[in-house]
Amino acid sequence: MGSLFAQLAVMGSSLVLIFGLLLLWRRGSAAHIAAFTAQSVALAATVAVIARFTGSAELWVVAAMFLAVKGVVMPLLLKRMERRFGESRELDPYVNTATSLVIGGLLVLFAYIVTRPVVEVSQLPTRAGMPLAMGLIFVSLLVIISRKKALTQVIGFLMLENGIALLAALGTYGIPLIVEVGVFLDALMGFLVMQIVVYRIQQTFESLDIEQLNRLSQ
Amino acid sequence: MRLTFLALLGSPVLAALLAALARPYRAWAGAAGAMLSLLSLAAALRLAGRVLAGATPTWGPGEMMRVDALSALLAVCVSFVAALAAWLGPGLGRDAHYGPGQARRFRIFSSLFAFTMLAAVTANNVAVMWVAIEATTITSALIIPLTVSKASVEASWKYILICSVGIALAFVGTVLGYFDYIHLAGESESALNWTSLMAAAPAMHPRVVELAFVFILIGYGTKAGLAPMHTWLPDAHAEAPAPLSAMMSGVLLAVALYAIIRWKAVVGAAVGSTLPDRLLLVLGLASLAIASLSLVGQRHYKRLLAYSSIEHTGLMCLGLGLGPLGAFAALLHLVNHAVAKSMMFFLSGRILDRYRTTELGGVSGLLRAMPVTGGLFAAGMLALVGLPPFGMFLSKFALVRAGFATGHPWLMAAVLALLLIAFVALLSQVHRMLYGALPDGVAVGEGNRWGLVPLGLCAVLLVAMGLGGFGLLQALLDRAVEVTAR
Amino acid sequence: MIDPTTGAYVLAVAQTALALALAPGLVGLVRWMKARLQNRQGAPVWQPYFELRKLFAKEVVVSNNASWLFSATPFIVFASTVAVTVLVPVLAVPLPFDRVGDLVVVVYLLLLGTFFLALAGLDPGSAFGGMGSSREMTVAALSEPTIALAIFALALSAGSTNLGQIVVRTMAEPAAALSPGYLLAFGALFIVTLAENGRLPVDNPGTHLELTMIHEAMVLEYSGRYLALLEWAAWLKLLLFFSLLGNLFVPWGVATTLAPAALALAVVSLLVKLTLLAAVVAVSETRVAKLRLFRVPELLAVSFVLAVLAITVSFLVR
Repeated sequence: MGSLFAQLAVMGSSLVLIFGLLLLWRRGSAAHIAAFTAQSVALAATVAVIARFTGSAELWVVAAMFLAVKGVVMPLLLKRMERRFGESRELDPYVNTATSLVIGGLLVLFAYIVTRPVVEVSQLPTRAGMPLAMGLIFVSLLVIISRKKALTQVIGFLMLENGIALLAALGTYGIPLIVEVGVFLDALMGFLVMQIVVYRIQQTFESLDIEQLNRLSQ
Repeated sequence: MRLTFLALLGSPVLAALLAALARPYRAWAGAAGAMLSLLSLAAALRLAGRVLAGATPTWGPGEMMRVDALSALLAVCVSFVAALAAWLGPGLGRDAHYGPGQARRFRIFSSLFAFTMLAAVTANNVAVMWVAIEATTITSALIIPLTVSKASVEASWKYILICSVGIALAFVGTVLGYFDYIHLAGESESALNWTSLMAAAPAMHPRVVELAFVFILIGYGTKAGLAPMHTWLPDAHAEAPAPLSAMMSGVLLAVALYAIIRWKAVVGAAVGSTLPDRLLLVLGLASLAIASLSLVGQRHYKRLLAYSSIEHTGLMCLGLGLGPLGAFAALLHLVNHAVAKSMMFFLSGRILDRYRTTELGGVSGLLRAMPVTGGLFAAGMLALVGLPPFGMFLSKFALVRAGFATGHPWLMAAVLALLLIAFVALLSQVHRMLYGALPDGVAVGEGNRWGLVPLGLCAVLLVAMGLGGFGLLQALLDRAVEVTAR
Repeated sequence: MIDPTTGAYVLAVAQTALALALAPGLVGLVRWMKARLQNRQGAPVWQPYFELRKLFAKEVVVSNNASWLFSATPFIVFASTVAVTVLVPVLAVPLPFDRVGDLVVVVYLLLLGTFFLALAGLDPGSAFGGMGSSREMTVAALSEPTIALAIFALALSAGSTNLGQIVVRTMAEPAAALSPGYLLAFGALFIVTLAENGRLPVDNPGTHLELTMIHEAMVLEYSGRYLALLEWAAWLKLLLFFSLLGNLFVPWGVATTLAPAALALAVVSLLVKLTLLAAVVAVSETRVAKLRLFRVPELLAVSFVLAVLAITVSFLVR
C-alpha cells in the first residue's frame, strides 16, 4: 500500500467521499449540513496531512482556510438558512435512496476508470486518492440533479467544490496560493449569492421545493 | 501601456464604485458610468491598434495581463456592448419602469459584470480567467431578478446553479491541465500562464490533456449555452432586463467560447486537433439542432432571441471545429453576433416597455406603432438569419465553405437544413409582429428618440461589416485565427 | 503451514465443537450487556444454555398443514451452519478443510440455510410465517452479495478467496489492516452482520410483537428440539460472523501451528474479540431504534456501496 503518507492521504480521501455518500442516504437538512461539516473537516485534515509531509507552509494556510470557512462559517450560514426557511416536511428526491446509493457506487467506479490516465502519469504518493476525489465530484453532480430541495442542491454544490479542492490537493499538492485564495473567495461569493437567491425563492414561492420552479417550461 | 490597461479595466470598477457611493441613487452616477464605459471602449480600441501594429501588450506582475489578437478582438466587443448597456440601461434619469434602488443595483453590478468579462479576456493566467468567469456568473445572477417575480427568480436560480456547476467542472479541467504541466516542468509562478502552457504543450501526456479538455468543454460550454447544458439560457436571457440580456447574449457567450478557444489551442498543440474538433462539431450541431427546432412554435419574443443565441453559439462552435477557415468564420460570426444580438435585445426592451407583454401574440403592428424601432428590429432579424447585406451572411458563407473544404459535406447539408428551419421560424414570427392591427392601449410614436441613435449605429456597423468589412477587422481576425490554430 | 495430519483434523473438529459450545454463551453475554446498559438486572450469561436444555426436553408440535420440509429444515439449517463453522477461521489457520471450500462456498452455505428457513416459514401456511419469510428474503437479497463483495475485497489483496489464506496474508502484512479497503470492508461487513443475524436496527431479536419480527416470525411455528436446533444455529451464525469480523480484519492471535501454547493464545484472543464485538453490538442495539421496514434496503444499499468502494479501492490502487 505504500508509505504512511500515502495511506493517510487515501484514508482522508475515503472519509471525504463517504461523507459525500451520506448525502445520498440521509434525508433532512440537519443530516446534510452535518455531513458537509464533517466532510470539510476531513478535507482540511487531509490537506494538513499533505502539508505536514511535504513541508509546505502554503498548504497549512489552505487547510486553515478550509477549516475556518467550510468547516465553521458555511455550516453556520447553512443552519441559519435552514432555520429561516426550512421545510418542516421532508421532500422525496427524484431518485429513491437505495437507487441513488447504487448509482453513487457505480459513479465512483466510473471515476476510477476516468482518472486512470491521471493516476498512471502521477508520481506523487497521494495519487491513490485522486479517483476518490473524482468520485466525490460525480456523486455531488448526482445530488444536484436528483434532489428537490434548493438547500440540498446548494449543499451538493459545496461538496462539488470540496471534491475539486481535494483533487487539486492530491494531484498537484495544491495550486499556487494566490490562485487558491482567488478561487476560494469566488466560491464564497458564489455561496453568498446562492443564499440571496434562495431567500428570494422563499419570498416569492413560499417554499424551497424546486418543483414549483416550473413556470418557464417552453 | 499601463494607463491603457488601467483605463480598460479600471473604468468599469470606478463606475461601479460611483454607483455604490451614490446613496440615494442619483442620475449623475449613471452618466459618469456611461462616460467611463466610453473610456473603456477607447482603451480597448487602442490595445487592438497596438496588436495590429505587431506588439503584444502586457501588464502586471508575472505578465498577469496579456493582450494578443484574440483578446483584443473580444475586449473590443465586450467594451462596445458594455458601453451600449451603460448608455441605454436604467439609471440615466428617464426611467418609468425601474425605481432608484433597482437602477443603482443595475449600475453597480452591470459595471462589475463588464469588468469581470474584460478581465477574463485579458488575463494571461488560466486560473485568473477562471476566477473572472465565475465572477461573471455571480455579478449577473444578482441583477436577473431586477424586477422580482416568480419567473425571474426561477430563471436566476437555474442560471446560478447550472452555470456554477459548469464552471466548477471547467475548474476540474484546469486543475488537470495544471497537473500535467507541473509534472513536466515542475512548479513555478508562471505555471498557469497561457504562454507557458502553449510552450509545454507538445510534451504533455495525451490522455490527461484530452480528459482535461472534455471537462473544459463541458464546463465552459455550459456557460456558452451549448446543448445539452443550455437549459438555463432561454430562461435567464428572457427574464433578465434588456440591457443585461444584451450583454449576456452578445458577449458573455463569446467570453465563454474564448476560454474554449484558448484551451483548444493548447490541446491542439499537445495532441493534435482530432478529438477537440470532433467534440466541438458534435456539440455545435446538437446546439444548432435543438435551437432551430425550439424556434418553431415559440411564443415569447425574448425567448425567441435567446434560442437564436444558442443557435449562433452552435454555429460558432461548429466553425471552431473546422480548421483555420472555420475559425475565421467563427470569429467573424462572433463579432457580428455581438453587435446584432445586443441591438435586438435593446429593441426588445423598447417593445416590452410599449406593449407591456412578452408574448409574440400580443405584439402586432410594430411598424405602425414605432416605425424606427420596428424597422431596426426587422433589419436585425434579417441579419440574424444570415441574409445579405449583413455581416452574418459572410460569416455563415465562410463557415459552410470551411465545412466543405475540410470534408464534411453531409454535416454542412444538415447545418443548412437547420438554418433553413430557423430562417422560416424567425421570419414568420417577425412578420406577425411587424404587421397587423395595433392592440388596444398601445401608443403610437417613438417615445425616447435618443435611445435609437446607438442602435442605429449598430445597424450601420452590421451593414458595413457585411459589405466587405473593415480592413482592420479583417487583419485583426487573421491574427486571432493564428492564435487559435497554433 | 499446518500439515494435514490427524492432529489438524482433530483440531478442526475441536474448533467446531468449541464454537457450538460458545455460541449460546455469546448470545447470553450480549443480552446481559444490553440489560445492564438499560439499568436492568438481566438474566445470567448462561441462560441460553438452560433454554436449550429446556427446549430439547419439550414435545414437538407440528401443524397439520406442514410438509416434510418443515421437519427437515431445522436439521438442514443446523448442518449448513456447522459446515460453515468448519470453513471459517476460528482458532487456527490454515486448516485442511480449507481446501474443500472458500468464500464462495461459505456464502452459498449461509444462503442455503436462509433459503430453507424462509420456505419453512411459508410451509405451515400461517400468515406471520409468510410475512417473515418475505422480509427475510428482502434482507438476504441485499446482504448476501455484500458479504461476498466485502470479503472479496480482502481476497483481492490476499490473492485467494480461501478464508484461511486471507488471514495468513493479513498476518504477514500488518500495515494492510489499516488500509482504506479493509476499513471500508469492515464497515460493510459489520452492517451485514447486524442484518443477517437479526440484530437492531434491522430486526429486534427480543420482540414479541409479530408485526415487527423478521427472523422470529419464520420460527414462530417451531417448538421443542426443532426450535432448539434453529435457535442454536442462529446463535452459531452470530458467533461465526463475529469471528469473521475479528479474525479477518484483526488476525493476531490466530494460531498458525499446532503448538499448545499457540492454541491457548488463539482461544484467549478469540474470547477477547468475541467479548469486544458483543459489547459493540450491545451498545449499538441500545442506542439505535429499529428502522422502519422500507428503510432497511437503504441501509443495506449503504453497506453494498461500502463493499463496492472497498473493492475498487483495493483493486484499482496498487
